[in-house]
Amino acid sequence: MRGDRAPRVVGERRWVNVSFGALAWVVGLIFFFPVFWMVLNSFKTEQDANTSPKLFFHPTLDRYKDVTKSAGGLLSFGEAFTNSAVIVLVSVTIVMLLAIPAAYALAIRPVPKWRDVLFFFISTKFLPIVAAILPIWILGRNLDLLNTRLGLIILYVGINLPLAVWMLRSFFQEIPRELVEAAEIDGAGLRGQLTSVILPIAAPGIAATALLCVIFAWNEFFYAVQLNPVHGSTVPIWVTTNVSTRGDFLAKLSAASVLACIPVVLAGWIAQKRMIRGLAMGAIK
Amino acid sequence: MRGTRALSVSAALLAVVGVIATGCGGSDNTGQTSGGGGKSKGGSINVAIVDNPQMKDIAKLTPSLFTKRTGIKVNYTILDEGTLRQVTTRDVAAGGRQFDVAMIGPYEAPQFGKSGSLVDLTPMAQSDSAYRLGDIIPAVRNALSADGKMYAAPFYGESSFLMYRKDVLDKAGVKIPLHPTWDQVAAAARKVNTAKMAGICLRGKPGWGDLGASFTTVLNTFGGTWWSAKPDGSVDKAQVNTPAFRNALQFYVNLVHDAGEKDAANSSFNECLTQYKDSKVAMWYDATVAAGLLEASDSAVKGKNGYAFAPVEKTKAAGWLWTWALAIPKTSSKQDLAWQYISWATGPQYLKAAGTRIDGGWAALPPGTRKSTYEIPQYKKAAAAFAGPTLSAIAAAPISNPGTTKRPGLPGVQYVGIPQFQDVGNQCTQQFSAVIAGRTSVDSALGNCQDVASQVNS
Amino acid sequence: MDAAAGTAEASEQKPRKLISPPRLSESWRRRLPLLPALLIMIVLTQVPFVMSIYYSLTDWHVVPPGPRKFVGLDNYSHLFSDHFFGSAVWVSVQLAVIPVLGSLVLGTAFALLLDRKFIGRGLVRTLLITPFLLMPVVVGLIWKNQMFNDLYGVINWVVGKLGGTPVDFVARHPTMAIAVTLIWQWTPFMMLIMLAGLQSQPPDVLEAAKVDGATPWGIFRQLTLAHLRPYMELGILLGTIYLIQVYDLVAVMTGGGPGSTNVPYFVFQKSIGGGWEFGQASAYSIVVVVFSIIIATVSLRVLSRLLRGEETV
Repeated sequence: MRGDRAPRVVGERRWVNVSFGALAWVVGLIFFFPVFWMVLNSFKTEQDANTSPKLFFHPTLDRYKDVTKSAGGLLSFGEAFTNSAVIVLVSVTIVMLLAIPAAYALAIRPVPKWRDVLFFFISTKFLPIVAAILPIWILGRNLDLLNTRLGLIILYVGINLPLAVWMLRSFFQEIPRELVEAAEIDGAGLRGQLTSVILPIAAPGIAATALLCVIFAWNEFFYAVQLNPVHGSTVPIWVTTNVSTRGDFLAKLSAASVLACIPVVLAGWIAQKRMIRGLAMGAIK
Repeated sequence: MRGTRALSVSAALLAVVGVIATGCGGSDNTGQTSGGGGKSKGGSINVAIVDNPQMKDIAKLTPSLFTKRTGIKVNYTILDEGTLRQVTTRDVAAGGRQFDVAMIGPYEAPQFGKSGSLVDLTPMAQSDSAYRLGDIIPAVRNALSADGKMYAAPFYGESSFLMYRKDVLDKAGVKIPLHPTWDQVAAAARKVNTAKMAGICLRGKPGWGDLGASFTTVLNTFGGTWWSAKPDGSVDKAQVNTPAFRNALQFYVNLVHDAGEKDAANSSFNECLTQYKDSKVAMWYDATVAAGLLEASDSAVKGKNGYAFAPVEKTKAAGWLWTWALAIPKTSSKQDLAWQYISWATGPQYLKAAGTRIDGGWAALPPGTRKSTYEIPQYKKAAAAFAGPTLSAIAAAPISNPGTTKRPGLPGVQYVGIPQFQDVGNQCTQQFSAVIAGRTSVDSALGNCQDVASQVNS
Repeated sequence: MDAAAGTAEASEQKPRKLISPPRLSESWRRRLPLLPALLIMIVLTQVPFVMSIYYSLTDWHVVPPGPRKFVGLDNYSHLFSDHFFGSAVWVSVQLAVIPVLGSLVLGTAFALLLDRKFIGRGLVRTLLITPFLLMPVVVGLIWKNQMFNDLYGVINWVVGKLGGTPVDFVARHPTMAIAVTLIWQWTPFMMLIMLAGLQSQPPDVLEAAKVDGATPWGIFRQLTLAHLRPYMELGILLGTIYLIQVYDLVAVMTGGGPGSTNVPYFVFQKSIGGGWEFGQASAYSIVVVVFSIIIATVSLRVLSRLLRGEETV
């Protein structure tokens, strides 16, 4: 019986279980409400969206047409999406490829100064980005990396790597030492230990880490707009082109945001499918 | 396990593919990644514009009306006003080389022009007879010039005036003259103020261009000023703690508290537009371009509005002057292509061609830049309700002498033409907005603001 | 085991002398997986950091453009006489502590709810993650215009229907308004960490406890919560570091001001937000870095569980 091996909390009666399930639904719907409202707005006219809350109205797809109408010379959804997809996928892949061995070296077979190394990683996030932008922009200009995808990829690796290292390290800590040693005795090197023991057990943690890195990279706006305003512009930049300084824009912005977050919703769906207790444990045993 | 081995292999492949793909990610000098272009006589330029509807209109029309004719591909970057200013200021003043054309206003144009960061457009404009440099409204042209040289070509112009619901005011028996005073307007607002419909909508959102713009025009006409000026035009002393400043602020805050819109401390143009169209406010003091939106075909208040000049107290005129104009940073390597674009975008031909092609029709033409716009018969007809008042307001904007005393810095109505005003204006309007929100007192706000303003030493 | 590996190595290099004793190669074997990540981080972050330090010692302003002059520590002394820095720090503290604690409590509660099986669990999990998937600017605009708004907000609409008077949340209570929005936005972040932490709890331990006759509440308190503690500390650490940097919510919801300007927004105003004083802004951020290092060092010592290590060889 693969899959869910935690049908319910130990020792619980059925009605308790059902009511907790119902509670989860209620909580989920309430918490989701503002997003639901935004989705609703995306089907309204600007007039309906900018007035007292309306649940019933004439839905229209016009806002979606408005925001996806492409014109030569203007950033189109397709172009922004492609840029974002490449930048996010490549940078998160690189982050995971770097962070998994690093977390191994900090958790499973720790290097001598692992506390200092961890502290260093997290300290790189102390410099406010609103100030770090100055040297980064100058470096980007001098290295000809402005308005390129490569520039943002490099930057996003630097932004997400500390998070990934810290999170993966915490998850790797949980892995029972005996299993790792058993694999080592069997002659497995780093890669073998990873594939046979560590990755399967820490799969939920890895999924959570990768998802968070994807979210942070996908929604990152500040660096993207300062460094890539002309080419290599990403989805957040595209979303904000629908904001208007002189005129109503809430419905259009809602439509744009819905389109913008579909990919990350998919990523979230995939990731949470990996977060099933006992899936990995069952695989080992 | 086989599964994870395949996973790691495909991850590595993905990384390699990705790195290769990024090589084709587009760089500064090649053309757009999507779409064709590049006729042999063409080229491409990067243009940064603000996200107003008129700018979006011309961006959509560029391929058919400009690129087709000249072969020059235009890459637009559309940003909101705040971000645009961040990006273009850095590009122009710190040598960014990212843009060939940048959209700036009369606050930046003379400053950057004088400091040598912008190309002087006057010779190119004068030698181009089709451009009709003399057609540009003089007040607007002067606002964008320094020492007689025009550093930016105006695309869009606005002043400020008072808009009100004729039907609501008539029902209450209130009349607004064509040149009202603030006392008259305040009295009218308090009279028509009800729980369902506020008397007047005034900006309250922090920002030198939001609350700062509205309030500074009030300040000017109340005889106050931010700083006094030395004879050479440099900043002398901060004047925030003077009675005139206090009167102006107190008047503004009281009016908002007594008869102002809901959520005033967060309201700027868009919020007031929404409330006015929704019949939640009866009067509105703001940019002239609002009139076009109020009289648009989808507006619930179309045809119900009256327009009056910006209210005054001690001065003859009080409306502000703002224009969004196109400038060429000196660091651009494509200055002649940039000028070709600017001469089309701000020339009289675009205005004639756009009227039948843009979503809003003739009434949605970019207003306030050329006298000839106001001679186009279709425009006169479609914009009948507000064209006249708009043109008069812009012409009357007292840009060189907005108040009762001399101001330091370059000319400006709703701002002070010194580089430090952005920061001082932002910080002070944050204080004033907190007063409007009822979280702090006028005294405290004035005190804090005086401290901030005093740190500007010429 | 190590000896076996060592002799295997030695036998491979039989014709040549052993290059290094097994002990050194072991420690290099430990370091090697770490090196790529570490080196890349050093290059990517220390270069801008050093540049920032350099700028902080100059009077570089962009508007009006002028040559950069070296002014030593002038910018730093400016900071401590700056009127508003103190209140920016206080706002930063509030906008970090309240959202971190709020989202941690909510996130843990949600994770516990979602750890059990019920119909549509995957869907509810996805629903609960969505707040974090939206762009911060969009989140700010939704809450400002559609939730909190006096006239058009849903919250005030409900309040009105229940007979109360609408409250202008953002104008009258800016700090709390931003804090609530941040809690809503960051709860999924905490929830994901807690959920992954819960998944790593071996179910056989729970089974054993049940067999031993422990009550569900007892199991929860003794085992689950204890197991989650390092993850909570991780969430607090990471959450605090991210929340301290929040600036776009402030820009979008209030535009700054007393009660909502936090340190990043304060620095932003000094640099590209209008002040264009890059020298001063750099100095302020270096001070922020120094303070953060101090605070982080202290709190990491307190959060001893977070840095517990298995000092195995």
